[in-house]
Amino acid sequence: MDLTIESISKDGYHLLSLSGDVDTKTAPSLLDALTALELAALAELRIEMDQVGFLSSAGLRALVFAKQKMPHTARLVLVGTSADIADVITKTGLTQAVTLVATHDDL
Amino acid sequence: MLTFNPFPPVADLLLERIDALPTDVIGGYQVRPGKPLPFGVSHIPNGLNFSIYTSAGTACTLVLFNRGDDQPIAELPFPEHYRIGDVFCMVVFNLDFENLEYGFRVDGPHDPIAGHRFDPSQVLMDPYARLISGRDVWGETPDWQRPYPYRARVSFDDFDWEGERPLEIPSEDLVIYETHVRSFTRSDTSGVKQPGTYAALVEKIPYLKQLGINAVELMPVYEFDEFENSRIHPDTGEQLYNFWGYSTVGFFAPKAGYAATGKFGMQVDEFKQLVKTFHRAGIEVILDVVFNHTAEGNEYGPTLSFKGLDNKTYYMLTPEGYYFNFSGTGNTLNCNNPIVRNLVLDCLRYWAAEYHIDGFRFDLATILGRDPWGAPLSNPPLLESLAFDPILSSCKLIAEAWDAGGLYQVGTFPAFGRWGEWNGKYRDCLRRYLKGDEAQVGQLAQRVQGSPDLYQPSGRSPATSVNFITCHDGFTLADLVSYDHKHNEANGEGNRDGGDDNHSWNCGAEGWTDDPGIQALRHRQMMNALTMLLTSRGTPMLLMGDEFGRSQHGNNNAYCLDSPISWVDWSLLQTNAQLHAYVTALIHFRHAHPALRVNRFDAEASALFPSCSFHGSTAWQPDWSDHSRQLAWMISADVACDHGLSRPDTVYVATNMAHYATWFELPQLPDGYGWHLCFNTGDASSPMDASEPRYLDSGILLGDRSIVVMSAKQV
Repeated sequence: MDLTIESISKDGYHLLSLSGDVDTKTAPSLLDALTALELAALAELRIEMDQVGFLSSAGLRALVFAKQKMPHTARLVLVGTSADIADVITKTGLTQAVTLVATHDDL
Repeated sequence: MLTFNPFPPVADLLLERIDALPTDVIGGYQVRPGKPLPFGVSHIPNGLNFSIYTSAGTACTLVLFNRGDDQPIAELPFPEHYRIGDVFCMVVFNLDFENLEYGFRVDGPHDPIAGHRFDPSQVLMDPYARLISGRDVWGETPDWQRPYPYRARVSFDDFDWEGERPLEIPSEDLVIYETHVRSFTRSDTSGVKQPGTYAALVEKIPYLKQLGINAVELMPVYEFDEFENSRIHPDTGEQLYNFWGYSTVGFFAPKAGYAATGKFGMQVDEFKQLVKTFHRAGIEVILDVVFNHTAEGNEYGPTLSFKGLDNKTYYMLTPEGYYFNFSGTGNTLNCNNPIVRNLVLDCLRYWAAEYHIDGFRFDLATILGRDPWGAPLSNPPLLESLAFDPILSSCKLIAEAWDAGGLYQVGTFPAFGRWGEWNGKYRDCLRRYLKGDEAQVGQLAQRVQGSPDLYQPSGRSPATSVNFITCHDGFTLADLVSYDHKHNEANGEGNRDGGDDNHSWNCGAEGWTDDPGIQALRHRQMMNALTMLLTSRGTPMLLMGDEFGRSQHGNNNAYCLDSPISWVDWSLLQTNAQLHAYVTALIHFRHAHPALRVNRFDAEASALFPSCSFHGSTAWQPDWSDHSRQLAWMISADVACDHGLSRPDTVYVATNMAHYATWFELPQLPDGYGWHLCFNTGDASSPMDASEPRYLDSGILLGDRSIVVMSAKQV
């Protein structure tokens, strides 16, 4: 399944809205979308995940890459992550890089 | 006047690293000569550096696969000028390394008598592979026709430890808990989310913390193939596996099938997360490592890696080119060859530095001290290298000081002041004393004070001795007191496998019984065993589940059983709640009494008593005769407390393994002190001090096969 990425600058944060699977084929486009942002100047990056069915290790690496480029105080928020994907993120210790919330209202 | 600035701003120079640019194109891939070290694959800007050793190989090809594909996407022969000494090395640029699997073909002579088994038709795994695919999900039947079954992948070292570091708990303060990742949580009774995984083990940390242990020793977690030598039980039709995992496929890679995230190739992160979480709970992680042999077997075994890379370097070979078999599993790694020595050292350094591992237990470690022809070396270079390595300097090194070739070195293992040992003599003596054998008290006295007979002459300390009564190999504790004989029929080898020297006693009936008298005796014997273990000097080790009476139904060698026989049954935690509470109290008692953990054989007397003394029915007069089945030991040390003062810590343990009650006179305490009864295994209703403290002065009557533990307290 293809991945579509919508990148929108919001008030106080930047939003990436993903739809589709992040696998080895599509992860590079996620990485490109992340690299295109001025990560070093971002206070908050939110990624809408509720339309993502699968997130590969390459996709996870892309998120870690983005977090490392962002300021220390900045946060990277995944919104609406599926239980399966959240499980992988928790088990591999990536929860200290990303914040998981169900909806934007939870922030 | 013009001034010359020798240090212009870097940006003005427009520097571009020349060694980060390709110089050649091979098969459409941009490449350049690589760096010979480190071995394996390493990241460089825009590329990967591949480095592989072969001394007798004449040519080498790098083989690249897209993940999971049968056929390679590219084969890149190393040009002759990409070889430095015996090392082929190449940088390949712009690879999709997330999706990459790689291997090597090596050409050279096929002359088994001369020790060479080169076969360029085989794709060989990198011995330094840090991530291996092929057995990503435990028990998933492999495609046996698939070429290149275990595949090297590229890992990332971007895990964030958040400042966490190894705990460096002194060896004498450890209480080790031996466990198997899958057995521990595979049963439905374990109540975890993904049974049998690293993640599930993490879920059990609160349980282990409450129990009081502060180190887990994990049976092999290096990548292995559970299907190696797998077979069907001839009678039951049950699938039998290489369940324990004592047969390594890759020394640098964590087992994928143990990771809940293994199907995503995330096992490296999941295992690091495990170590990090254990450390945060104050529990060290020790790995059981198997360097004595590999999964390639003998001349009939598969060619996976070493055999095709440089057979003669990696294995001990007979003059006719056959494999020496000191491990009992087909081949023997040639550990004192300098190349193999460095591999072992690189491997342990990698796990210590990259995974924050606290210690290693070496399976059949005496093999590591044999020369290339199998003879024991007096000064084995590998053991010496490990002992003095700067990166491993705070890691525990523990030897299983025997091998399948008949070399038994408990007490004489070349330790270089660093190595600890699984003390097999402790196990055997304690078992024999426990079941009431004659002529054990003399040796028992040595064992409970850290085995000075074995370790003091060579200047070693009590914590050298890893004391244990049970381990994965042999009966569980519940089976030790329930079976006279092994019952290994489920292994499908006609009950011929497994040891016969169990020193076990079934207490009156073989296996399960509803006789309440026998049940009570077994329960008491389990408490007796663990009481002696946890009040001995040295480093105690418990086997998973023994604290609540785990049984393997008399199987003393469940190496092949991925079944309820092997799996820890957590419902026993309720059934045997009293035993569990007793063991928990004992472990906390050990932590609370520094005298038990004194790590010197020549320790000074405390303000009250000698460091270690022995007693019998009459205080200060142990009965050393052969028929004696009573011994008491008293351990004492001055312990620092507030304001620069010290206080004496004294523990008295009286053991009666006779079938009749025996009176023990207590050593007399100075005025103001009393003997506080802490544990009494003979008191079936309350074996531990739970309510009112009881003070005794003159003596105590010990029931048959019973132990009491007391501490001297100011009253």
